[in-house]
Amino acid sequence: MNLNRFKKTLFSRSTLRGIVGIVAFLVLWEAGSQSKQWLGFALPWIGQVPAPTAVLKAWIGLVGDSGYWQSWYMSLIRVLTGFLVAMLIGIPFGLLMAVSKTFRSLAFPSFELLRPIPPLAWVPASIIFWPTQELSITFVTFLGAFFTVVINVLGGAKSIDIRYFQSAQAMGASQWDIFRRVVFPATLPSIVVGAAVGMGITWEVVVAAEMISGGGSQAGGSGGGLGFFIWNSYVGGSYAQIVVGMISIGVAGYLCSATLRALGGFVTPWLKKR
Amino acid sequence: MEQLIALLKRTMPFQMVPDSMLLAIAGLAKWESHARGDVLYQIGDKAEDIYVVSSGSVQHTLGIDAHAIHPDKTVYSGGVFGWAAVLEGQRKRLAKTVCLERTELIRINGEDLINLFKASPSIGDVVMSRFATMINKEFTLPEAVATQVRHFPPGEQTLPQLQATMATGLTLTLFRVSQWVKSPDPYLMITGFAILLGFWYFAVEVWKLPRFEDMPGLTVVVKELFSKNPVYGVSLYTPEYYHDIWISVRRVGIAFFLATLLGVPLGLFLGWSKKFREYIFPLFETLRPIPVLAWVPLAILMFSGSETPVIFLTFLASFFATALNTMLGVDSIDESYIRAASCLGASRWQSFREVIVPGAMPFIFTGLQISVGVAWFSLVAGEMVSGQFGLGYLINTSYTMVRYPTIVIGMITLGAVGYSTSALVRMIGDYMMQWRVRELALGGR
Repeated sequence: MNLNRFKKTLFSRSTLRGIVGIVAFLVLWEAGSQSKQWLGFALPWIGQVPAPTAVLKAWIGLVGDSGYWQSWYMSLIRVLTGFLVAMLIGIPFGLLMAVSKTFRSLAFPSFELLRPIPPLAWVPASIIFWPTQELSITFVTFLGAFFTVVINVLGGAKSIDIRYFQSAQAMGASQWDIFRRVVFPATLPSIVVGAAVGMGITWEVVVAAEMISGGGSQAGGSGGGLGFFIWNSYVGGSYAQIVVGMISIGVAGYLCSATLRALGGFVTPWLKKR
Repeated sequence: MEQLIALLKRTMPFQMVPDSMLLAIAGLAKWESHARGDVLYQIGDKAEDIYVVSSGSVQHTLGIDAHAIHPDKTVYSGGVFGWAAVLEGQRKRLAKTVCLERTELIRINGEDLINLFKASPSIGDVVMSRFATMINKEFTLPEAVATQVRHFPPGEQTLPQLQATMATGLTLTLFRVSQWVKSPDPYLMITGFAILLGFWYFAVEVWKLPRFEDMPGLTVVVKELFSKNPVYGVSLYTPEYYHDIWISVRRVGIAFFLATLLGVPLGLFLGWSKKFREYIFPLFETLRPIPVLAWVPLAILMFSGSETPVIFLTFLASFFATALNTMLGVDSIDESYIRAASCLGASRWQSFREVIVPGAMPFIFTGLQISVGVAWFSLVAGEMVSGQFGLGYLINTSYTMVRYPTIVIGMITLGAVGYSTSALVRMIGDYMMQWRVRELALGGR
């Protein structure tokens, strides 16, 4: 995108309208939170929420705090580990199910039996099983992404047009050639989508697991990840920090998904819109 | 002979014919094999036999006067051609047929087949009406061809009647079940379950592998689940169990209902009005990446008690999923449908109601299915962190009170209940969009 077009999008009417929407939301939020001072009575629900200005102030206070950044780092490491392991196991597993009918009949029903159990229901079992809390949180994170990745890979491989196989075979491709040149590239978009969705779920799961298991906090409550940061702020009564934590997780999750989307676009260049 | 029956069974007009009749048809059949390039018949030849492809393929080219939708058609294994042999007053081939490769064929004399059908008119009529359907799909001149398909009124029977089976829903289901049982699938499935459960049993209770020894074992969990006097407090016989299920289902139900009520219209408007979308969507996208669980403390602050925060969290998750999918659904509608509606004089409101809402339906239901899934997901988290009763609460308290088998009971129950609710949503969706189900079924899915 060249500079001119960037300027054009930046100052276009739709960007402006988006900004108007967000600003209106912030103003309403501020008014709702400050209703006691501004209107003379506290509005229900929103009256308890810390105001945007208070949140901003709390955030500025936290920028220099190493504990806050440590939380970022902890959550990020857990998400990335769980996610990478899920990809490493999930992609071959899904492809194997797609390629071999016998393996699919063997494994798919059991897989479907476990899939509807929400990943968070695994938290206690995983705490019992794994020796450290770090591992148990990472395991739950892995589970969150694993099922999504497998289902997407399987769905993508199954939707390949059978004529592609037939023509590859007619032109003398071996089984391995078909896998490498037909199945894998055709499944790649689904893998990318599965990875993006899985990444979203991992962030959800990591936050919850950190909240429930206490985050494995060793460094005096500040090394437990962003989920624990939020919970700690709640318990400690610094409500503005809760919102800071929420926004931080939102930003972190968004950045991860955006990176993944960019990577996905890079490995599937043929999907780019002409 | 068995091979022949098996082939006939998966061939289109004979699928629902009872075995006794299949045997009779198989008695008429003659095997034939042809080399690549063999011409079976030309247009205008005398039509005597119908053919079923056993292996290989043939090219079927219809004459110009047939006005077919697809004048060229390849018939593969299991396909039937040469219908002219069973038409009334039509004894001329309508197409030219050439073998594309080495082909094995079954040849059945049309006259004999008709006589067989005459003997048991009720089945014969079913088979012939299936022929008519097939032929109607190919030709655009149905009155010239399809009306010549014979019809056997029940009074006309001359020979002893065979027992007829109509293709009802039940017989079709039974047929599918019997086919499924004959395939390796169910046995592999059972093997898969056995491996899973066996691993659980042996790892925990027999070998007592390191790390596994603390886990609740298979027999302990099963014994607990079916015991009238559960050691850890919860089993199929205790009312507390059903109370927890009921509380969770009710929370999901309320949250899902609210999310659908608000999310679907929001999504529809986001997709429908560009201006509305430009104002609202950036805000929506700013809030969406925040995990629902991060809202927990805020929800506790905002809503008093333990019930409303949990419902709010559950609602939030489903709401985003529903609204986003609905919006994508509206986006997926072909622009020309909306333009066509306006050309025909539809008002903006009419095209919204008649084009956009039904057009977005498949996506809405996909969204609702995802939404039920995430609803359970966040419900569990909400109940674990704040909340009283419910399955998530059961799991969490069982953990803190060292009632390990109950954790697994809670997990299994959650899986089963979660699966049932999304199956229910899928069923309702299928019921409301039967046109799509049929379309997918025709596509072989």
